Order: sequence, then C-alpha cells, then structure tokens
Amino acid sequence: MKKLTIAALMLLLSLSLVFANGSAESAQAADGELNGTITFWHSFTQGKRMEAVQAAADQFMQMHPGVTINIETMAWGDFNTKWNAGLTTGDLPDMSTAQNTGEVAEMLNVGVLRSVDTVIDAIGRDRFSANALGDMTVDGEVYGIPYYSHAQVMWYREDLLDAAGLDVPQTWDEFYDAAVALTKDGVYGAAVSLSPNDLLGTRYLNYYVRSAGGSLLNDDLTANLTSPEAIEGIKFWVDVYKNCSPAETINYTVNDHATLYYQGITAFDFNSGFQIDGVRNNRPDLLPYVSCAMLPRMNADDPLYSAEATHIPLVIWQNSEHPEICEAFIEFLYEEDNYTDFLSAVPVGMLPSISGISETEAYRSNEIVQDFAEEEAIIAEAIELGSAIGFEHGPSAQAGLLANQGIIEEMFQDIIMNGTPVEEAAAAAEAELNEIFEAMVQ
Amino acid sequence: MPHHLKGRTSIQGSSLTRWFFVGPAMLVVICLLIYPLCTTVLYSFTDKTMIRADFNFTGFENYTRILTDPDFWSSFANSLVWTIFGVLGQLAIGFTGALCLNRIKSPVMRNVFRITAIIPWAFPSIATAMVWKWLLNGIYGFVPVSLRNLGITEGLAQFFSTPELVMPTLIFINIWFGFPLIMVNVYAALQTIPQDQYEAAQIDGASAWQSFIHVTVPHIRTVVGLLVVMRTVWIFNNFDLIYMITGGGPAGASSTMPIYIYDTGWTGRMVGRASTASVLLLLFLVILCVLYFRVITRWEKEDDK
Repeated sequence: MKKLTIAALMLLLSLSLVFANGSAESAQAADGELNGTITFWHSFTQGKRMEAVQAAADQFMQMHPGVTINIETMAWGDFNTKWNAGLTTGDLPDMSTAQNTGEVAEMLNVGVLRSVDTVIDAIGRDRFSANALGDMTVDGEVYGIPYYSHAQVMWYREDLLDAAGLDVPQTWDEFYDAAVALTKDGVYGAAVSLSPNDLLGTRYLNYYVRSAGGSLLNDDLTANLTSPEAIEGIKFWVDVYKNCSPAETINYTVNDHATLYYQGITAFDFNSGFQIDGVRNNRPDLLPYVSCAMLPRMNADDPLYSAEATHIPLVIWQNSEHPEICEAFIEFLYEEDNYTDFLSAVPVGMLPSISGISETEAYRSNEIVQDFAEEEAIIAEAIELGSAIGFEHGPSAQAGLLANQGIIEEMFQDIIMNGTPVEEAAAAAEAELNEIFEAMVQ
Repeated sequence: MPHHLKGRTSIQGSSLTRWFFVGPAMLVVICLLIYPLCTTVLYSFTDKTMIRADFNFTGFENYTRILTDPDFWSSFANSLVWTIFGVLGQLAIGFTGALCLNRIKSPVMRNVFRITAIIPWAFPSIATAMVWKWLLNGIYGFVPVSLRNLGITEGLAQFFSTPELVMPTLIFINIWFGFPLIMVNVYAALQTIPQDQYEAAQIDGASAWQSFIHVTVPHIRTVVGLLVVMRTVWIFNNFDLIYMITGGGPAGASSTMPIYIYDTGWTGRMVGRASTASVLLLLFLVILCVLYFRVITRWEKEDDK
C-alpha cells in the first residue's frame, strides 16, 4: 500500500512538472518571443547546401534562444518513403522541403499541409513567380513556398560537336542523328537511364510528348501513354537507348546517370544547371566545353517550349505545434544574405525563386554565375515557360504519382529486354497507372 | 498467518518474480513479433494503401490478385534460384575452406588464412554492393574492361544489364559475401571432432574419403544443418544487396520476393497487397523451416543413440 502511494505521488509529481513546463512555454510565447522545438526535414545532403541551411538555423536559434530547430536530412529518394510511412506512424516534421510541386500535390491529397500564405505575404507575394505559386495553390490558398527553381534543358559538349562538324540540335531528329554520330571512341551520344526507382524514363517521354503538344495525362487526369505522340516518343527513346546509350544505364538512377555526363562519358544530357557543378567537381578540364540549349522540338520552326520546370518547395505540416516558428524561420531563410549564401552552394544549379536576388552584386559576383550567364538565361527562360510533369492540367496528385511509381520505367525495360510490342506495353502501363490513381487519389 | 497460507504467499511471490523477469522479454516479443505479424495478416485482407488512412476489408481479393500476378511468380522463382544456388555455393566454398583451414598445421598461417578469408563477411553490404557495382560496371568497370582487353569478350561484358547474366552475377557476389560465415562455423565444428576417432579409422584401414564420410560428416552435420536453415532464411529474405546493385532489374530479371514486396508496398504504396505477399512468403519459409528441423531432429536422435 505504501509503495502504491509513493508511485501515485511520483506520477502526480511528473504530471505537474509536465504541465508546469507547458504553461511556462505558453507564458513565454505570450511575451511575443518565439519558444519551442521544431523538426525540419530536408534533402540537401550535399556539403555546401547542408552547411548553408545549418548555419542559418544556428543563427536563427541564437537570435531566438527559446527555439530549437532539429534538422534531419535524407536523400531525395528516401523523403517520399519517409513521409508516407509517417502518415501511419505519426513521425512527421514541422516543416520540410518537398521534391517538387508534384509531391506537394500528393501531400495535399492526404491533407497534411498548412497554408503558407502568411509567410508568402511577409516575403512579398509579388516577388514569386505566379506560375510557381499557382502550382501549389488549391482553393485560393498556397501550400508550398518555392525555395529555389530549375528547369530541364539539353546539355551538350561543344568540343565534341565541333570536332564532328555538327550544330547544336534543334529538333529531335537532329538530336538523334548527332547522338548516333558522337557514339564512338568510348563516348556515348546520350544515356537513357531507366531504373524504376527513379523518374528518368517518365521525364524523357514527357519531353517528347510535350514537344508534340500532347500530355501524359488526359483532361480527366487519367494516364495517357497510348496517344500517337506517346507511342512515337516511346519508340524514339527505345531507339536512342539501343543506338546511343550504354546498355548499363537500363538500371541507372539520376545520380548514376548524371555522373556519366560529369565524367565526359556522354555527349548530350538533359538536366538542370546542376550539370555545371557536377562537371566542375568531376572533370574541371571539360567545364569550358559544357553548354546548354532549350529542349529539342518536333520541327525547327516550332515555338520554344519547356517540358519540366521544378520549384523545390518548403512546406509546413498540419501537425506542427509551432507553425509560427516555421514561418519565422522560413522568412529568415529568404533574407538576402542567407538566401544568396544558400544559392551560391550550387551556382546556376539553384536559381532564385524570388525576384530581387539575381541582380544583386553578391549573387552576380560568383565566378560560375558570370561564366555561365548565357546558360543561366536559358534555364531561367525554361523555368518561366514550364511546369512540373503533368501540371499542364493544373496541380494534381495524379501528376505526382505519374512520375514516382516507376511504371513508365518498367514499361521501357519490358520493351527493351523482353521485346514486348510498344503498343501492348504502353496499354498495360497506362492501365496500371489508372488503377493506382483510382486507389490513391482521395 | 497460518503455516499453509504462508507457503502459498511465498509461491505467489515467486510466481510474480518469474513474471517480473519474463515480462520484458515477452513485451519485446509482443511488440516486435506478434504485433507486426498480426497487423500484416490483418492488412492482407484489406485494401489499405500507404497514403489513405481508411481501408476496407476485401476478403481474399489480395490473395487472388497476388497469386495470379505473373510478377509475383517470377519473383518467387528468382528467389528460389537466388536462395538455392546461394546456399549451395556458400556451403560448398565455406565447407572446402574450413577443411583447408583445418589442414593448416602452422597456427600463424591458420590465423592469417582465417582472417583473410573472413574479410568479405566483415564488409557492410553497402560497401560490398558498391565495390562489385564498380568492378563489374558495363561502361568502365575493371572486370569488363580487362576481359575485353584480354580478348576474352568482344565488347564490354554487361553483367547487370543482360537478363541471363544478372542473376548468376548476383549469386556469385552473394556467395563471395556469405561463405566466410559457413567456413568459420564449420571450422569450429571440425575442431570438436576427437582426433582419436580419425586414428582408429586409420588403424581400421579407412581411406581419407571413408574417414570424411564416417567420422567428419556425422560430427558436423547438425551444425551444417543449422547453418543451412539460417542461411536459407537470410538469403531468401535478403533485400539490400540486390536492391543496391540492380534494384530488381532489368525488367524484373533480378527481382526477388523482398524486392517485389518493397515495390508493391513502398513504391506502389499498396500496403494491403504487400502484406499479402509477406504472409505468403512467411508461410513458405515456415513450411521450409519445419521440414529442415525435422531432418535436423532426426540427425540429433541418431547422434544420441
């Protein structure tokens, strides 16, 4: 009995301590000073970007002694898995990055995000691209803040084109011919990487289909892999794989794939401005010969287009107990010094998502930004013209699912390895995607 | 207090003490085994997805669907090939290595050999995957480039992108990775065989082969049997090595059951269907282990006679 009494007293004491702490926090919050702990998941696992974010967090915590920011980093590929699992386990952050606007649409599909209109207004709504905000707007409320932007363009090697007497391709036919011509002496024209654990097959097919004026989604947001332009696009990339690409890339993901261009193994590649940093780190001797152009078109006189622009968003999660800290921290990240420091981690790779930064002296003083000013302008134009894969129909969970299920990549593998007829494989993949859309979209 | 009641209190007390000691272990078992198992079985009868909180009971629909899915059967067949050849290969090389090790007279050389041979087992699987991926890379890998330069292959051998080569290559890597465990355990078992039994066999005129069959094998077969059970389950359930090297590709040529379950549950987010495949995998492994243990128990009984 005596033991029971002691245990009850200890329990009461513990509870009173917990509540005392809670009321102390509330009191401090009432003073206007931020107080509390937040968890921030991000995928900037590379040294410089991670350091820039960590430095900003440290500075923020110094300014607000009552605030603790726990940063957890994870690879882009793991992020989707982690938050999906968190929906069941409850292990979700207060704020995070997202892979792209497509993923924000997926998050909105399950209702886990808070509106970020307050912080957008604090930073200056008119400083953001209307397209970028539009990609994350539902019922008039914005749910993601673009942290940086980039777009897919065609990268090439000037020295290889010059040596072969070739011009920069303007059309897909010219691209194919040039890629075939440059596939020799240990260099491959272009790599077609098709691991189902990544989205490169979807991305490539989307380029082709968009250039033909089509879409991988129908107006009713069902998958469309059997349109004439999609069938033609699948055949085109299968041909590129067979005639210009290393066979090994059938299992390659984005990192393996990009490394081939960084190391001078491929002549063409499709990527954002991250190519520059990759080449600089792997083969600095090739950096003077690296350049980019807008994506090839069906016909040379077709208007310029952009098939994929990406805005890497910051989001605040619905479960956060301290959204006010998240908002204040995000606003702090966009302060000119912090933001420029962050962007300079991968110059030209990460372009500012707000106006008033790219013109500043601090931003323009970067050597890479100066050397690759033309390329930066091309990417900036592609950002302006483009949207995320499938977002030509507006933000939707289907667009996100289209790119991250690996079904289009499996379709390509099936055609290449098993010789399955293109039309048959495309119809099967389309049906599989539609089944997933039906099961997942709420 | 009456004497007989005092005794009962003491028994009750010791019973409580027993629960106190067993409790934590039971809690761990419940949390880590019973709960996940029950949840998996429950979900296998639902249409649960990873991103929808609600789910409906669908009876045996998932089972029908999985059992009629050609990808399930090809992954199951790949798992059998991966496990059978992996276990047999590891056993053959590990066993031979242990016999060689047992023959080395110099303790110094024996230690050197033992340490050298165990290196593959000491590698974390991520390092093993990366090293072999690099060595066998079909663009710049040391092995394909050397084979081409030596004139053995016409072009660069494509170990990971040729459907016919990918599984044998992965099995080879798995054997390289896993044989040291068998070797060390079998070597330890060999050390327990009384030397006088070999001497008696020699006096009786037994050949080396007869000594091996009638003296060595009976002494180590239980250990080997247990190793086979362990390795069968481990290899069948192995996920990381294949996932990190090929991700199950190309076109499912190296997709095994764990990869199939991962793709269904995590990439496809169909938790219900992934649970169904997990339950089927569990049933298969339980049946296999029961059969194995029957054989081992029979051996143990024979040894006791």
